[in-house]
Amino acid sequence: MINYIQIINQLFEIQTKVKESCTSANFERNFNRLFSLFEEEGYFVQDPTGEKYSETRTDCEASITGQLDSKLRITRTIKPIIYHRKDGDVRLLQKAVVIAENN
Amino acid sequence: MKPVNFGIDLGTTNSLIAKYDGGKVQVFKNSIGQKETLASVVAYRPQRVLVGDKAREYLTKDPVNVFGNFKRKMGTDEKYYVVNIDDNVTPIQLSALVLKELKNFVYTGETPQACVITIPASFDTMQSNATLKAGQEAGFKDIFLLQEPIAASLAFFNESSSSKKDGYWLVYDFGGGTFDVALVHATEQELKVIDHEGNNFLGGADFDFAIIETIIVPEIVRQTGITDFEDQLRVKYGKYEKLYYELAYYAEEAKKELSQTNSVVIDFTAEFSDKKYVFSIPITRQEIETLFLPIINETIGLLKKVMENNQLEPNDVNQIVLVGGSTLVPQVREQLSQQTTIPLNHSTDPTTAIVVGAAYYAANKYYDSPQIEQQVEEIASKIPSQIEQIKPDLKIKTSYNRSSRDKEEVLLVFCEGAYENKFLRVIRSDGGFDTGFVPLRAKKTEFLPLLPSVTNLFTLHVYDNNHEEIKTLTQKLSITHGKYTVGGQPLPHDITIEVDDVENKTTRLEAIFERNSLLPQKRTLYREISKTIKKGSKDALIINILEGDKNARPSSNLTIGCIKITGKDLATDLVKGSDIEIQLHITDSRILNTTVFLVMTQQEFKNVFSVSEKKISLDRLRDQYNQLESELTETIRQFQYNQDDVWEIQANALLEDLQSVKERLFKIKEGDKSDEKYIVAQKIMRVSQASDKLGGNERISMLVEEYFGQKERTREAISTSDFQREEMHKKIQKIEASETSFIRSKNVSFIENKIRQLHDLHWDALCNTTSFLITQYIQWRELPPEFYKDYSAAKSLIKMADGSLEKEQYADFRKQVFSLTHLMVITDHRFNKDFKGTGIG
Repeated sequence: MINYIQIINQLFEIQTKVKESCTSANFERNFNRLFSLFEEEGYFVQDPTGEKYSETRTDCEASITGQLDSKLRITRTIKPIIYHRKDGDVRLLQKAVVIAENN
Repeated sequence: MKPVNFGIDLGTTNSLIAKYDGGKVQVFKNSIGQKETLASVVAYRPQRVLVGDKAREYLTKDPVNVFGNFKRKMGTDEKYYVVNIDDNVTPIQLSALVLKELKNFVYTGETPQACVITIPASFDTMQSNATLKAGQEAGFKDIFLLQEPIAASLAFFNESSSSKKDGYWLVYDFGGGTFDVALVHATEQELKVIDHEGNNFLGGADFDFAIIETIIVPEIVRQTGITDFEDQLRVKYGKYEKLYYELAYYAEEAKKELSQTNSVVIDFTAEFSDKKYVFSIPITRQEIETLFLPIINETIGLLKKVMENNQLEPNDVNQIVLVGGSTLVPQVREQLSQQTTIPLNHSTDPTTAIVVGAAYYAANKYYDSPQIEQQVEEIASKIPSQIEQIKPDLKIKTSYNRSSRDKEEVLLVFCEGAYENKFLRVIRSDGGFDTGFVPLRAKKTEFLPLLPSVTNLFTLHVYDNNHEEIKTLTQKLSITHGKYTVGGQPLPHDITIEVDDVENKTTRLEAIFERNSLLPQKRTLYREISKTIKKGSKDALIINILEGDKNARPSSNLTIGCIKITGKDLATDLVKGSDIEIQLHITDSRILNTTVFLVMTQQEFKNVFSVSEKKISLDRLRDQYNQLESELTETIRQFQYNQDDVWEIQANALLEDLQSVKERLFKIKEGDKSDEKYIVAQKIMRVSQASDKLGGNERISMLVEEYFGQKERTREAISTSDFQREEMHKKIQKIEASETSFIRSKNVSFIENKIRQLHDLHWDALCNTTSFLITQYIQWRELPPEFYKDYSAAKSLIKMADGSLEKEQYADFRKQVFSLTHLMVITDHRFNKDFKGTGIG
């Protein structure tokens, strides 16, 4: 069986590296296409970078940096959130590994 | 008396629950995140109490409200002051919360009344009694304690095939943060812990720190020249704190990977003094083995100490039983084996061995079951609505929007009655959201995050002051994201794109945005080019966007946007099979933006259409005319055959009406500025829609009946075929998968199309049946020359087929007959000879 989660994680890592090297515009279309292919198989990938973080978010495993504040935001995503959808049923396959810090 | 069956590993860092059932042990998983382990951490966050992994995230950041490792304080009079609740909590209370949360892992609906809880071999009477008390506070009526090394041994004894069990065993328990070793003596009658040693601050995390300190940090210092980097990395709230967490993650991943392979590369980027550095650090297994050796030696030293204290030689010990996640590191096993020469036993998952052993033990322990109470509870769980009336002391009402386009939706909870000291908890069914235990108030607000474009299911649980769930108050909540709400403008019809059905020489619609989707909407379609278009040619690719019923034929829908890309627009030839990306964006004001990207030529075409402004392609219109004309002709033929005279007259009238514009349509020149093509398009659409309504519901019922009859015949033919049975089964399953939707659509052309697909498949099945093929062949062989495109080629094929038939070589015979059919002059009135298509597959 194809290990979709491992492939998606690798793809996400490549995308992150490409973004860091400031050449992401050249590859954006290809990444969108690849993630869309996974969506056709029911795998939905979510990058929570920039989103609010709170203790109710069980879709992320967070390392919290800096002084604790009530307003936390995700500043770095090491692994993305992966959901699987089938026949209207949604299941969390992978929690994101993130770093959250004060707003 | 009932068997206890439930076992709990109440660990210092993680806890687990399992049940013995019918000879097997099942370790329960948390419904949130599907993990077997629960972090033994409790957090008193503002407004809520969290137990488990979420609580652990706040452990170092909020130490005055978040507590872990409290197992070490069991049996002491130590209390923890919690700032957020301005009160003290004891290690017993915290352990009870962990035990209660573990009860929530039991998804089978039963509430464990009794359990076996494991304790370290080092626990004294006070610590053991404290654990018993925690179990009682968690609502267990009967509790049995079992020493962890005994539990681990039991798991291995019950799951290992080894026959020799009597004698000495060593249980080597190397977890994430602690290490324990115990000497166990087994006889026919009993298992007993003889001696033990341990270190509460030695675990797998030390391996990760060693990788960071010895391999990663020196490389960072070498590249950046920051000599005090290591000191700064350790500073709490320091500038490298974020990087430290990243490195900890990479080090752990590298450690895991090096258990499988000989080398890995850790690569990451980091900024130092506004300069970006790219690190790529190779690590070999040999390197980490040098780092890990002192840590492993420390554990082996403790193990040897236990042996020496008890004057045991390696030959006196049967096996070393491996427990704890760190025993998965290959070097740990190698060193243990080399340095002790005692055989290792790792036949059971080391992370669950203790809880599995506890469950085996629980299977042989019994408790007095309060049967009547249990029966009442069982009945109560089945009829919640009635019980709610029996317990009128608390009523919960909820208010929320059932559909939303926002990222989160507000849930209002109203409580009437005795809500004090009670808690609510809302969990999203996919596992991505959990409020934790939130104290109830007369009116309470919670924000529920929503996953996009799906129905989000939540469960609202209510708990009493002991964190025991009041199951009669449980509610299911459902919020659909992205669909119709009062706040936005829904699409009145489906928005579709016309794509080619090359096999049937026709086109079909594919939904882009479905009816009632809320504006604005955006989507990218990925398709292949279905025909080659030469650079400079007049051949064209047509992106036809329509509005109407996605199940109808294209001509029944209204074209709202059409892009024509001809060979003259192309930079190079566009080859069949190359990719096309079509991005569609429809705004709040229903302006349609289309961007087409041709991957092969790397060209982008952008268009903006207003829905009030019609765009029509003459080629597509002519295709649609031909298609409709042939379909109507076929319909009339069927009505004649079935002697449906009234419908036949109506269909003939429609055909005449359609043909009245034929001449005009084929006279229109490309670039014509008059309204002619719009008038013709209007006529075609009206005839097409009327054609779908011919015969009304009666015709639809007949077609549905015909569909099921044809399906039965096709299934039968497939089951008796001699070749390609599996492929044909897949095809019929594919048709069946959309059965509900096309029957519900009540759309004549859609149902007819499915019947046609079944007909074709039926024919395929017959042609894959040797007996049928022979009968057909005998007829085809006798056909006169005008029935073949190339009679001499046909004759030579007939000769070969005759030979194969005589030798009973049916596979060859089948191929030859198929080749023969390709030489036959076949006129299929269904197929449009002049079909040009859209060029989109």
